[in-house]
Amino acid sequence: MTDKKISPLTKKRYASEKRFKVYCVTALVLAMAILFTLLSSITVSSIPAFTQTHIEIDVYLDKEILDPNDTNDLQTILNEGPWRSLAKSSLREMIPGVTARKEKRELYGLVSIIAGDSIKSYVKENPNNIGKKVQIDIPSSDDIDLLIKGLIDRSLPEENRTVSNLQLKWLDQLVYEKRVSKHFAWKLFNHGDSREPEVAGLKGAIVGTLLTMFVTLIISFPIGVMTAVYLEEIAPSNRMTDFIEVNINNLAAVPSIVFGLLGLAVFIGYFDMPRSAPLVGGIVLALMTLPVIIIATRASLASIPPSIREAAYGIGASPLQVITHHVLPLAVPGILTGTIIGIARAAGETAPLLMIGMMAFIVDTPHKITDKATVMPAQIYMWANNPERSFESLTSAAILILLIILITMNALAIYLRKKYERRW
Amino acid sequence: MREDGNMNKNYKVKTENITVDYGEKRALHGINLNVASNEVTALIGPSGCGKSTFIRCINRMNDLIDGCKVNGKILIDDEDINDQNMDVVELRAKVGMVFQKPNPFPKSIFDNVAYGPRIHGTVKNKEELENMVKKSLKRAGLWNEVHDRLDASGLSLSGGQQQRLCIARAIAVNPDILLMDEPCSALDPIATAVIEELINELKERYTIMIVTHSMQQAARLSQKTAYFHLGEMIEFDDTSNIFTNPKHEMTEAYISGKIG
Repeated sequence: MTDKKISPLTKKRYASEKRFKVYCVTALVLAMAILFTLLSSITVSSIPAFTQTHIEIDVYLDKEILDPNDTNDLQTILNEGPWRSLAKSSLREMIPGVTARKEKRELYGLVSIIAGDSIKSYVKENPNNIGKKVQIDIPSSDDIDLLIKGLIDRSLPEENRTVSNLQLKWLDQLVYEKRVSKHFAWKLFNHGDSREPEVAGLKGAIVGTLLTMFVTLIISFPIGVMTAVYLEEIAPSNRMTDFIEVNINNLAAVPSIVFGLLGLAVFIGYFDMPRSAPLVGGIVLALMTLPVIIIATRASLASIPPSIREAAYGIGASPLQVITHHVLPLAVPGILTGTIIGIARAAGETAPLLMIGMMAFIVDTPHKITDKATVMPAQIYMWANNPERSFESLTSAAILILLIILITMNALAIYLRKKYERRW
Repeated sequence: MREDGNMNKNYKVKTENITVDYGEKRALHGINLNVASNEVTALIGPSGCGKSTFIRCINRMNDLIDGCKVNGKILIDDEDINDQNMDVVELRAKVGMVFQKPNPFPKSIFDNVAYGPRIHGTVKNKEELENMVKKSLKRAGLWNEVHDRLDASGLSLSGGQQQRLCIARAIAVNPDILLMDEPCSALDPIATAVIEELINELKERYTIMIVTHSMQQAARLSQKTAYFHLGEMIEFDDTSNIFTNPKHEMTEAYISGKIG
């Protein structure tokens, strides 16, 4: 094309630019690959946890058994009915000829130990069916669930598998009768924690996380923003404010477990606040989030061009008017982003909560901030420690749900920033 | 206008022995400069000579700069503006300022102009506010261009229009004095011409102090010119004298382009 000679220096410059670009792209590809591996492995291993195997059993809701005293009161029936034994006898009727004690135990092991509760809640919803023969879907035990999902190898010798030959035979019969079905595992979202994987859900942890984040936000947002406004807009810059600034930056770098120790010593030890409560967890996480919010807010305030301030002062706005009418509204996107990222970080935090007893097995869903509660990351940690096989996929599912919550929060931060972003 | 020297006259702004220190560094060394009502006073001089610092003393904008210390006496209508009883908010309502770079608020054109009257409570109702905005935009020569889009962002205007919007915003609070810190330095020649014409009209109502790097602009606009150099006021006289018959050799060197 052209016979113009390219100098060796130019050639070298082009080459080094090209090399640099290659390095950058490689780094990006590597990062993406790692992220993809992580996400896909979690997703794949969590899939089994999102479905649950149910076995349909015939139950005769005999009024004489359920209500021997003829009270006709639903509440009494629900409270006093022999639900567990009803579940067992129904199983025995469905699969006749089981008499030996060991065999009986294997038979009952087909369904979850909460089978009785399933019948109970069925009756609660359909009280008119008392006295009738009905078919009720009951969650299977976790071993049967794993088998149906293909996670237990049938070809293993009997002593190496958690499902016995007899159970296999019955199960095949039930499958043949089309009594075995898989449903979406709603219990993940409407059940609390449990020792039994087939009933263990995240409701308690999700509500606990929400309550804790609520406390964190209520405390850290106003204090953080006010502090930042004071330091950035009002305080004179002298040694004192420099000292405070350095220490805020230091606080942001303090290991989070230290905040947990502080919470244990001060809030639980000294102020006698309840253990394992979202109130204390929220306060501790608020302390941890404060520096993040202060730093983000200050950065956001500092990025407002001084010309806006000058313009407002120039026509006689008071310092408060300059801040509330001009500076803060313009800083809102940055403040919100910083806050949401701080809160998201707090939502994924476990170490400080370890110290204040939120890493606990809590079945009930908390209703107020002083109830005992646990949070998502703590739940994940506890499930991961559980030796039962089914908890493996439950752990992954919980991680996935936590990730989705956090990604949603970050997406919200980006959306808010884009929405309120203004140019000047 | 004839040369009055320092004879008794009702000056709008009187300054006596103004010194300004930025920390250790002295930016202004004892400036004495009096400004008469309804005149345009131009401050010229090379960069860093203290012109902007000086006019920022008049509405105490230097208060906002950390470590900036102003000494000396500044009287506006014979009132000491550094007096304890002087409220800086009222002072700035009386002494409007237009900055080097157009800096409208990121709000609508209407809200930009209405902001001052709103915070100072100079209007009683919406109707008065609308009239005030209209009057100010008309005086700033912007009304015809924007009357049909008052809700548009102030930032959607061109640079020259933005600067006139800033002037409208400043005069909407009925100031006596307008300080202009190189108002045309960010504008093209056509926008500059429009602003200059505007300043000529505005001097009927306001006392104007303008900092400029353009000697032609100073010559065209002002009645009095002060030449600053390294924090000192070298010469202050009628503009015609400064440009035709400067007394000081440094002034002459500057206006003839030998230094600066």
